[in-house]
This record gives sequence, structure tokens and C-alpha cells, in this order.
Amino acid sequence: MSGNLCSSTTAARARQAVEQLRLEAGIDRIKVSQAAAALVRYCQEHRRNDPLLTGVPTSANPYKDKKPCVIL
Amino acid sequence: MCDQTFLAICFGPCDKCGKTKPLMNIYIKTDPINYCSLCVEMMATEGLQENETLASLKNESESLKNKLEEERAKLHDVELHQVADRVEALGQFVMKTRRTLKGHGNKVLCMDWCKDKRRIVSSSQDGKVIVWDAFTTNKEHAVTMPCTWVMACAYAPSGCAVACGGLKNKCSVYPLTFDKNENMAAKKKSVAMHTNYLSACSFTNSDMQILTASGDGTCALWDVESGQLLQSFHGHAADVLCLDLAPSETGNTFVSGGCDKKAMVWDMRSGQCIQSFETHESDINSVRYYPSGDAFASGSDDASCRLYDLRADREVAIYSKESIIFGASSVDFSLSGRLLFAGYNDYTINVWDVLKGTRVSILFGHENRVSTLRVSPDGTAFCSGSWDHTLRVSAGVLVSVHIQNT
Repeated sequence: MSGNLCSSTTAARARQAVEQLRLEAGIDRIKVSQAAAALVRYCQEHRRNDPLLTGVPTSANPYKDKKPCVIL
Repeated sequence: MCDQTFLAICFGPCDKCGKTKPLMNIYIKTDPINYCSLCVEMMATEGLQENETLASLKNESESLKNKLEEERAKLHDVELHQVADRVEALGQFVMKTRRTLKGHGNKVLCMDWCKDKRRIVSSSQDGKVIVWDAFTTNKEHAVTMPCTWVMACAYAPSGCAVACGGLKNKCSVYPLTFDKNENMAAKKKSVAMHTNYLSACSFTNSDMQILTASGDGTCALWDVESGQLLQSFHGHAADVLCLDLAPSETGNTFVSGGCDKKAMVWDMRSGQCIQSFETHESDINSVRYYPSGDAFASGSDDASCRLYDLRADREVAIYSKESIIFGASSVDFSLSGRLLFAGYNDYTINVWDVLKGTRVSILFGHENRVSTLRVSPDGTAFCSGSWDHTLRVSAGVLVSVHIQNT
């Protein structure tokens, strides 16, 4: 089952598979070095905005353990 | 599933050519037909054009697959972790469970965060869907679905509704109401209808459209208001287990993963598969886009997680260890994309350095398989759901000690 139409003949299915492969083989690709550099760049640029990386000060942490209240 | 073809030789007039010959009793869909072997051959080659035979199409298919691999290999000039060598190593990462959400009576199968960064919807094998406040651990809503094994649930972008589905093959949307007198199940809207179980669902950018994945091998886009099918996505050769929408800036695509070991990237408007990746050795249980939208990660029953770059059109990293032998059920990135959190069937959560390919931390705590895991929308914590009936909200902190590259 490939493509948008559901064909019942084996020939049509085989042709659809070939069309799909032709499409996938023909796309534009960049080098892994370029792609990897982009991934690294994104991580570095956003590193400061990542609370799981930088940590969150306890005062701002919504999950901090609740301390019992003392009524003075 | 199993197709059994019984071949019985009987002699008689062929339904097509009329000649009395040995007949092949075959079925087209469910109708039995009796054709002679010559007519069966001719039927199989119907639709072929001149100079085309099934064999030539198969050969072309093989050579195209090889060409695809060659083109990809040409651009494989370096590994991601080599490029990441110059990036400073992460220090030690200490994680702690901050909240434990108890209330489900059976295995938690799926969860999703609300955009308000504090509410969570979760679904379970016992048919219950619960909405929690993660800060206080209070249950705000609960509804019992008519089916068990609610394998998929999602929060609407507005925070006013949740969608869920499972063994009943359909996806239903429940508006969330704070009116104590209203029964949540009363306003339920049935949106999607597949021919097999619903494995994943997600709202698109609005409350108006839902994307679903199903055991019937297809994904589909639905209009919530009318329940109309807007687009269907055919291409997987087996059950589709997961999907994830591209971050809104990068356009109308989504990625799906299935039991056919393939991850496929789709154009939502045309229904066309744009790219496909087949490097996993077993079912892909979870797929998640990298925050920039240029890549996605996958978690599989082959005990590995992998990173695929869409512009390089190939796998660029594998996150695995010999000591990890159980499947990864669920993956998600931290906000910057530097960390990959993965929940496994051995009850643990491993945290990977996406760039360097190394494991940064391991979190214990669940008493059964981790089935679902999502980082909160503001990136301050992540929630994991497990077969041990609980959900845990955990956060971590990097102990900033610079460790030399080991």
C-alpha cells in the first residue's frame, strides 16, 4: 500500500513504489558536516535557555519541596 | 495478518476465457473466482505499459534503492560526534523525582503536557483518562473511556480539551469543563475512525485538527468539528506506532514510526511521503523532532535511539550501549536539543548527550516499564509514565564540574 490511491493490481503497486523511490532519490541533500555544524550551532545558541541544562534557582522552581509553614 | 491461500486443483470452465482447463481457486478481496492459470497471469500483469514487466519494475526499484544509498553515502563526510568534539563536555547530571502522580488503576500508556506548563493528561490500560495539576498533584478531571488500553492521549493547544483513543479504533475529543454538574463524557466528540487500534494522536497548531496514527498502517488528518477525514497517509507496511508534528516554524510536515522499522516524513497537505529512513532493527516506538525541526530522534525495540538529520537525509547518530538491551519506548529532547531523554522497558530513563553520543545520566525509580515520556513546554522538567501505574515529574541539575573528554 503506497501512494495516495489504493490500487489492487500488483503492477500499479510496483509502479507506485518505483515513483516513490524516484522522488526520494531525487531530493536535495547537504553534507553531514554541514548538517552536524547546524545542530551544534543550535544547541550552543539555545543552551542558556534550557532549564534542564542550566538548572533553575530554587526560588523560581515550581517543583521545590514544600517546607511546612510556621505561624509566628 | 495471516493470509492462508488454499490451492485446490479442480477442472472446469474458466470464469474469464471460458475454456475448460485446470482452475486456480483464488479470492479477489472476498469474492472467490475460478480462473485458469493463463488468465491469472494476465490479471497480474494488467496495467503494465509497453516495455514494462513486473520484473523490470522490480529491478528499477532495486537500482533506485541502491542509488538512494549511494547518494546518501557520498555526503557522509564526517560523524556528528566528531564535529561535536570541540563542544565542551556536559558535567555530571543529577536527576530527582519531584512529584509522583498516583491514581491510575493500571499501566499508564500515554501522557501529554498542557501548554500552560503545569497540567498533564494521562491515559491508562484501565480505560481512565486523568488530567492532573503537576505542581499540586491534584486530579482535576477524570473520564472513563468505553475501551481499555487507551494508548493515545493529547492535550489541545488551547488547554480546553483532550483527545484520546485506543482499542476501539477511534479518537474522541473531550472538552474540559469545570462545571461540577457536567459529566465530561457527555460532551464527547468522536473524531477519527480507523480500521485498527489508535496508537498515537496529536492536535495540530489549533484545536480544530487532529493527526492520528493507527495499527491499520495509516496516519490521518481529521477536522475535529465535522469529524471529516482531511488527508490520509499511506506508506507504512505495518502498524504505525508514533508520530510527531514538526515545530510550527518549519512548516506542514510530520514524522511517523512503525512496526516496519521505518520512520517516514510526510507532507500534511499533499499526503505524500517526502523522506523515509530504515536503519532501525526493530519496531520504532517513539519519534520526536529536534527543536529546530531539522532532525528527529527515534526510540526502538532494538534498544537504540537514533538521530536522523532531514537535510542530510540520513541517520547521523546512534545512542546505544551494550549494557542496554531493552527497548526504548519513548524519547524527547530538552529545549536546546542538547539532551535526549529516553524511557526504556528495563524501568530506567537514560539521558543522552545528543551531540557527543554519550550517556550523561540514568534515572531509576519506576517499578515497571517506562511507557511514555515528555519534557514540559518550558523545559523545566520532564514527566514519565509507567506500567507501575504512576507518573513521575522529574528535574535535573548539572553539577558544573568540567570533566575532560573521556
